[in-house]
Amino acid sequence: MPEQIHPAERLLNLVIALVHTPGRMTKEQIRRTVAGYGDAPSDESFERMFERDKDTLRDLGIPVATVTSAGHGDDIGYRIDQDAYALPPLELTSAELGALSLAAEFWQDRSVRADTSRALTKLRAVGAGAGSSDLAAGLAPRVRAGGDAFPPLLDAVQARQRVRFTYRAASTGEVRERLVEPWRLVARRGGWFLVGFDVDRDGTRSFRLSRIEGRVRVVGAAGAFDAPTPEQTEAALLSWDVRDERTAVLALRAERAEALRARGEPADLPDGASPALRAAVADRDLVRVSYRATWELAEEVAGYGDAVLVADPPALRDAVLGLLRVAATLDGGGPDAGGPPAGPAAETADTTPARTTPAGDTQEAPRG
Amino acid sequence: MAERASERLLRLLGMIGYLDRNDGVSVEQLAEHFGVTPSQVMADVDTLWMSGTPGYYPHDLIDFDADSYDRGEIRLTESRGMTRPLRLGTREAVTLLAALRAMVADLGPTLDPEQAEVLRSTLAKLTAATGEAAGAVDVRLAVDGRPEVVAQIRRALATGRRLRIRYVNASDVTSDRDVDPLRMTTSDERSYLQAWCLRAGDERLFRLDRVLAAEVLDAPAEPHPGAGRGATAEFRFDLEGDVATLHLRSTGRWVAETVPVEDVRNLPDGSFEVDVRVGQRAFLRSLLLQAADDVLGVRPPEVARDVAVRARAALAAYGPLAGPADAPADPTPAAG
Repeated sequence: MPEQIHPAERLLNLVIALVHTPGRMTKEQIRRTVAGYGDAPSDESFERMFERDKDTLRDLGIPVATVTSAGHGDDIGYRIDQDAYALPPLELTSAELGALSLAAEFWQDRSVRADTSRALTKLRAVGAGAGSSDLAAGLAPRVRAGGDAFPPLLDAVQARQRVRFTYRAASTGEVRERLVEPWRLVARRGGWFLVGFDVDRDGTRSFRLSRIEGRVRVVGAAGAFDAPTPEQTEAALLSWDVRDERTAVLALRAERAEALRARGEPADLPDGASPALRAAVADRDLVRVSYRATWELAEEVAGYGDAVLVADPPALRDAVLGLLRVAATLDGGGPDAGGPPAGPAAETADTTPARTTPAGDTQEAPRG
Repeated sequence: MAERASERLLRLLGMIGYLDRNDGVSVEQLAEHFGVTPSQVMADVDTLWMSGTPGYYPHDLIDFDADSYDRGEIRLTESRGMTRPLRLGTREAVTLLAALRAMVADLGPTLDPEQAEVLRSTLAKLTAATGEAAGAVDVRLAVDGRPEVVAQIRRALATGRRLRIRYVNASDVTSDRDVDPLRMTTSDERSYLQAWCLRAGDERLFRLDRVLAAEVLDAPAEPHPGAGRGATAEFRFDLEGDVATLHLRSTGRWVAETVPVEDVRNLPDGSFEVDVRVGQRAFLRSLLLQAADDVLGVRPPEVARDVAVRARAALAAYGPLAGPADAPADPTPAAG
């Protein structure tokens, strides 16, 4: 025995001893017989060492059970039950282990990565050969970091425990406390969201994790609410999962907006197009693209300025025109201002007209 | 040693299990399998060899075949019954399963049938072994790009060849570039080709939905030491660019969340200011046109003017369709 034992070695010897003990081991027996504990210079340092080791093992999924025995008075003994920590029978091929490596690297948060790399170490015990790099060749699926709020929210979802946090609502700019029954953590284009039941507002809400300010605190006991029904979750997620249901016809200036062109296919003007429309899109390439939400495509189209016009549908065109009219006033000039801008150029709040939100788009993907 | 004792303990236990199932494994294989150096493997084996049940007499200890050990091969002869693999913790299982589920659902259809089957079988086995139900975490990956473009990129990656791509950037400027592909990243937001751009002489991230065409060249991709490490590389600051300050309504929070902003200042009325550093004016112009509804102000003034001029040009292009400026177009469109 070396004089100083690596803590991992002490932990290993503790696990082996507590798995093999016929009934239980008392602290005194552990201190006297298990390699590594004899190093403790005092009772207090032994106690600290042992408590810390028990915590470490529990975190790793190896619970140390407490056994009290009537025959031994009040003293407490310990043991580890292998059935309590063992993985059910599982064999993984090297290709499957490769898939798991990709799955582990999927996560960007440091704390989640610690979890997935632990899981991988455990699973390597039942994997054949080193993980195959075949599937991984050049492939890198990723999800953005969920941030500090992610781990406590994940635990709360699993435990069905209420959470309280401070939230900055983008729709109003209001910052306030929310009490939420967390259902599910959802990553979609654009971010991480918590979907759940807002207790104070008595309704289903989604919260963007990046707008949670400060810590997430759990409130009350685990199992405080029923898991949402599949119908409830489906309804809450509907707005995100609607996609590519509609098509628009866009008129592109030659050799511009290649990204839109690449996404679409050649199209014709709708039947009954007005003479004004025909005139506006003359000499332009017509392309049909599919889209999910009017606001989303409207913003993309507006971003191209006069390189892209909307031929159809009118609702999309109105949304684009609305954005352009607002943008046209950014320098203090009106939408029709032809010459140099009049008035101050910086702050334009006073001249900004109200947003014209397309109605009838209630099932659209939210900006979040 | 920087490694935490808990992580090392997991590997020590994992090694016993692995060596119990695989008779005679070279030190190098073990090192590769567990993702550590050969010298770490030797240190781990030495530790295991000295561990066992209290008493620590020879028959109490985990044991290895000494002759094999001298040849650099690890053969376990006594496991002391420690071969059972460890159950996954809830968070460990849930996060791995969520990743696999997203990969099966979104990446699977773009893969060879054989590769897709590997993902499916991994998901099925892990689900069965952990008993974790789907639900807590739900990730969708944004798989974009034209199928023929994706196929060419994947072929270049698999065969280690150079690619010629036609790319249109965020300023709507199209160019042809030769690139050495590093990896294809599919994220929850969009898909990227991470590559060494020979024209730029630097690593670049290309949005797949903006790669108009891709062609595998005969030339092999060259190694670029240090490239591709930034596996999570996202939009980078353009340090050459000018800083513009945008004053946005609260509903414009997405701007701060999707473009590289240098500073965000929340104001008492719920609005906020962001400083954006953008090299290409066209990109900023496009951003401001998109965010017009949420923009309360822009500095410097010439940026605002530039955007407004573009917007007026676009309105003019619509001609009579744009309608009178002070009467918004029909706000109740047909139901979509």
